[in-house]
Amino acid sequence: MPRRWLNPTAIAAGVLLLAVLVMAVVAPIVWSEKADAVDTDQILQGSSAEHWAGTDSLGRDIFARVLVATGLSVSLALAATAIGISVGIVLGTAPMLFGTSPAGVRAGRLVTAFVNILVAFPGLLLALFFAVVFGVGATGALLAIGFASAPSFARLVHTLVAGIAERDYIAAARIAGVGRVRLLVRHVLPNIAEPLVVNATMAAGGALLSFAGLSFLGLGVQIPSYDWGRMLGEGLGGIYVHPSAALAPGIAVIVAGLAFNLFGEALARAVGLRNPSARPHRTPVAPAVSTSDGAAVLAVEGLRVSYGAVTPVRGISFAVGRGESVGVVGESGSGKSLTALAVARLIEEPGHVSADRLEFQGEDLRQPKRAHRKLLGTSLAMVFQDPMTSLNPTQRIGRQLAEVAEQHQGLNRRSAWARAVDRLRAVRVPDPARRAKQLPHEFSGGMRQRAMIGMGLMGTPALVIADEPTTALDVTTQKSVLELLRELREREAVALLLISHDVTVVRQVCDRVLVMYAGRIVEELPAASLTTAARHPYTRALVAAVPDMDTPRDRPLATIAGRPADPAALPEGCAFAPRCPLADERCAREDPPMVAGVACWKAGAVIAPDLQKRSEAAS
Amino acid sequence: MADGAWRRFALRRTGRLLVSLWVLVTASFLMIHLVPGDPVRAALGMTASADLVAARRQSLGLNDPLWLQYWHYLRDLFTGNLGDSMVSGLPVADVIGDRLPATASLAGLAFLAAVALAVPTGVGMAILTRGGRRRWAETTYVSGSVVLATVPDFLLGVGLVAVFGVQLAWAPVAGRGGTATYVLPVLSLALGLAAVLGRIVRVEMVSVLDADYIRTARAKRLKARTIYLRHALPNALTATITVAGLMLGALVAGTVLVENVFAWPGLGYAIVQSILSKDYPVVQGIVLVYGIGVLLINLVVDVALALLDPRSTIRES
Amino acid sequence: MSVLDFDRVTVTFGRHTVVRDVSLAVPEGAVVGLVGGSGCGKSTLARAAAGLVPLAGGRITVDGGSPRGRISMVFQDPYSSLDPRMRIGATLAEALPRRTPDRKSEVARLLDLVDLAPDRARMYPHQLSGGQRQRVAIARALAGDPDVIIADEITSALDVSIQGTVLNLIRELHRRMRLTVLFISHNLAVVRYVSDTIAVMQEGRIVEHGPADDVLSAPEHPYTRELLEAVTP
Repeated sequence: MPRRWLNPTAIAAGVLLLAVLVMAVVAPIVWSEKADAVDTDQILQGSSAEHWAGTDSLGRDIFARVLVATGLSVSLALAATAIGISVGIVLGTAPMLFGTSPAGVRAGRLVTAFVNILVAFPGLLLALFFAVVFGVGATGALLAIGFASAPSFARLVHTLVAGIAERDYIAAARIAGVGRVRLLVRHVLPNIAEPLVVNATMAAGGALLSFAGLSFLGLGVQIPSYDWGRMLGEGLGGIYVHPSAALAPGIAVIVAGLAFNLFGEALARAVGLRNPSARPHRTPVAPAVSTSDGAAVLAVEGLRVSYGAVTPVRGISFAVGRGESVGVVGESGSGKSLTALAVARLIEEPGHVSADRLEFQGEDLRQPKRAHRKLLGTSLAMVFQDPMTSLNPTQRIGRQLAEVAEQHQGLNRRSAWARAVDRLRAVRVPDPARRAKQLPHEFSGGMRQRAMIGMGLMGTPALVIADEPTTALDVTTQKSVLELLRELREREAVALLLISHDVTVVRQVCDRVLVMYAGRIVEELPAASLTTAARHPYTRALVAAVPDMDTPRDRPLATIAGRPADPAALPEGCAFAPRCPLADERCAREDPPMVAGVACWKAGAVIAPDLQKRSEAAS
Repeated sequence: MADGAWRRFALRRTGRLLVSLWVLVTASFLMIHLVPGDPVRAALGMTASADLVAARRQSLGLNDPLWLQYWHYLRDLFTGNLGDSMVSGLPVADVIGDRLPATASLAGLAFLAAVALAVPTGVGMAILTRGGRRRWAETTYVSGSVVLATVPDFLLGVGLVAVFGVQLAWAPVAGRGGTATYVLPVLSLALGLAAVLGRIVRVEMVSVLDADYIRTARAKRLKARTIYLRHALPNALTATITVAGLMLGALVAGTVLVENVFAWPGLGYAIVQSILSKDYPVVQGIVLVYGIGVLLINLVVDVALALLDPRSTIRES
Repeated sequence: MSVLDFDRVTVTFGRHTVVRDVSLAVPEGAVVGLVGGSGCGKSTLARAAAGLVPLAGGRITVDGGSPRGRISMVFQDPYSSLDPRMRIGATLAEALPRRTPDRKSEVARLLDLVDLAPDRARMYPHQLSGGQRQRVAIARALAGDPDVIIADEITSALDVSIQGTVLNLIRELHRRMRLTVLFISHNLAVVRYVSDTIAVMQEGRIVEHGPADDVLSAPEHPYTRELLEAVTP
């Protein structure tokens, strides 16, 4: 955690903010006398060695006054922020505290609606309103800025609370009988503290600037007190003769405002966004076994995908024949989806793809060429997991299909649209002419996935790569989508590369299965022999761990000890060894090569029942 | 179905507008009553005679019961009567009519300038820095825009006056006249806004470029231009418009300060003078105008959003 | 005699009726499986039983009385069901009844029940794997000594190699403690593996309910047949 803090911007912002706060405390004590010393011989002087920023109309040193004003400016800003946050938290948490009774819900909605109306008005307008109501002066301005910032805080708190309130741990605590106030204090507030602190820091900067504004207008701090805004207002009148009187307090405002804002940004970065600062670099390509033949649609050898130092796909080789259906199974983190994206040349920086061979339809895809665009655009179809997010939400379905034909087949708008409607019909979207005009959100999940498949059929695909195409769908819809894929294969002789975590799905659709673990293919076998003739202990466990309709109910399911391998921390030797009941010293030392379709030193060995179950301590 | 959704959206939105208007009108009515002490005494000063104060109270109707005053206030509003200034005696409606064009043209031009600056830079930076590339460019852009956004518009105004008005004497620094007088006030309002907006455009664009449907578009091997302009930009704009609308509201309020820097003869200059001289009818009138302006902007934003992203109308219902 | 009883329960969200007139009994010591597609209302029914969603009609009772405090629940997503700011021990202790004498040893006992080492009590959720978190959630559900446990899609968010351990745990706890469980899942094979009786839900209604073997071998409702066809190659 602390390492994330150590970037130059964060440190600089922290130091700056600390300096501002220290100055706010120290300056009034140290320089007050100098700042108030009237010297009528030195009225309105420019900057000199004695007076760095010159003197004002009473001959007082402006630089000293700017330093001393830090105290009032910063403390007023902090006080206003405190008022804003307190009122904001009260208003923002009120709907939750009112509870779920009908009366409580109504009261909560009323508060929220009121806050929403106030939030629509800009803070400065609210501040002006309150400044009139509370009267001109420092106290009036303090209350004005405090209350003016309350609605946006209330809205923020409300949004954050609503987000947390949906979490299951809140539901669990409510079921356990935890009361509303306790729920708020123990579960909600600690979990919204971080964004709240970040926003409060930035709001303090905002309050500082607002104060400067009000005082500048003459509505804030009044003579004889002075803050930066007041000094600015006084200095502006004489800006032609004496610009430093206006510029010095102006610079102070900006520096202090920046200190709060930059520190807030740094905080936000530290608690929120964590951008991996990965840089692609080449990793040595391991020699791989060739499994391809001349008739293959897709031939891959020694494929690697790396993100910085992490290599989630570690040199895999496989081929997909014309019209063949190949499944790739594995758990999350096994690299199966990255394999699909890499083959389709869809990995973007900072990801890095390398391969000894990557051929699609006999074309070498390793060096990007202009001609590849058309080839891939018409002959390679992709179907992704989540049809909800994979279609552009603001474009009509028909348009999204038609543009493929416009860009790759040179069709005009009208005939491209006609082809889109025809393709929707081909994937059995009912009433395609009307449906084409609809937006994705008007389609059901299964229909959207059909539309995705139809999009791939705009050209004449030789290969469909489907990455978990049915995972987001209902079982019954799942079946019809799989059937559609199967039918296309038969009708159009399209090859299929189906990526799935679900052994059952792969068995239903595929001829051949590749089992992936930790970025390697560990076994390759006919789909039909998955349950009967698997030789890798991982494949066997994977099949046995998933109950199907024939699993005996009186016996415990097979389990695999430990967690799936972390691509960032792979063990030496076989990556599965730490979880494998058969593993011995050699497995832990040497990575097994792929031999006759399986990469395991113990391939085919019998797993004794007592070895199968492992205690939790092993994980 | 779509028609029904639109009708519900229109009903709901109109309802909210009316409630907000009512809150605004009531707040501006109450303002004069929330002021501590006697507003008339405050306005006329300590030296005014008791008779004069009483007479003025009578003419303003301040001695009537509150509900009757409220009724009169609402009735007058409908007839366009905003009362008279306590200082100059001029009708408030005339004061506003005189000054509104100056403020509206300033805010409008500043907003256009900000959008014209922010959208291209934001989109460009997003394409250059997505997925964590060109970290230095991202850092420079983000820190630069934080600094620019932190400098409040009126301080930027003071700075611009000092440099371009005083040192270089390139542009006039006060008053409203020809095109040249617009340059500095518009710039001081637009630059900070452009910085904030540009950052939002970039962030939105980066997150849209990361979306699944952009991957789909890339899988279709569309031209880069098609992917960026037809698939990414419309989706990035929805969030941008929301924020831009909020900021346009803030911009309207921001004119208050900038007008005072440049002695711009607009509403902002007038409201501050009126607050200081406790000329409450004028303050009430100008607060109303600002508030209505903000509400109208919000309405336009919501309608634009509904047109761009039809899901938003349906999702809410 | 049944412990958890849904009597003509209806739940509405605004104008949408999510659960329609559902009657279902969960007998003491039994595991009742509830299966259905997404959006069929099965999770809403669970949340209604736990008192998280108000009823629009009907009654839910435990032993003929109020279900308040007698039902506990295990959720789908082990990443959102534990408070990230609370140690495992505190999460478990919070679910214990107010007057539990030795909370510390009770927490240790709960962890032991779900095969977790006692030192896990000092850890935060992010230090545990998905499967381990789900076990903590199960331990929390056991803490109040509830009459009924509702398990809502508890294996759907887990990796296939992990879901087996969680299913085994549910089965074993049921065998050892005679737990009464309402087990909800979209996966027919998973429901079949743990349940004595199976109820099939579609569009807010229970369309079929009976002993697991009968429902699976001789499905009566067309939707049940459709579900079965979908999982058999």
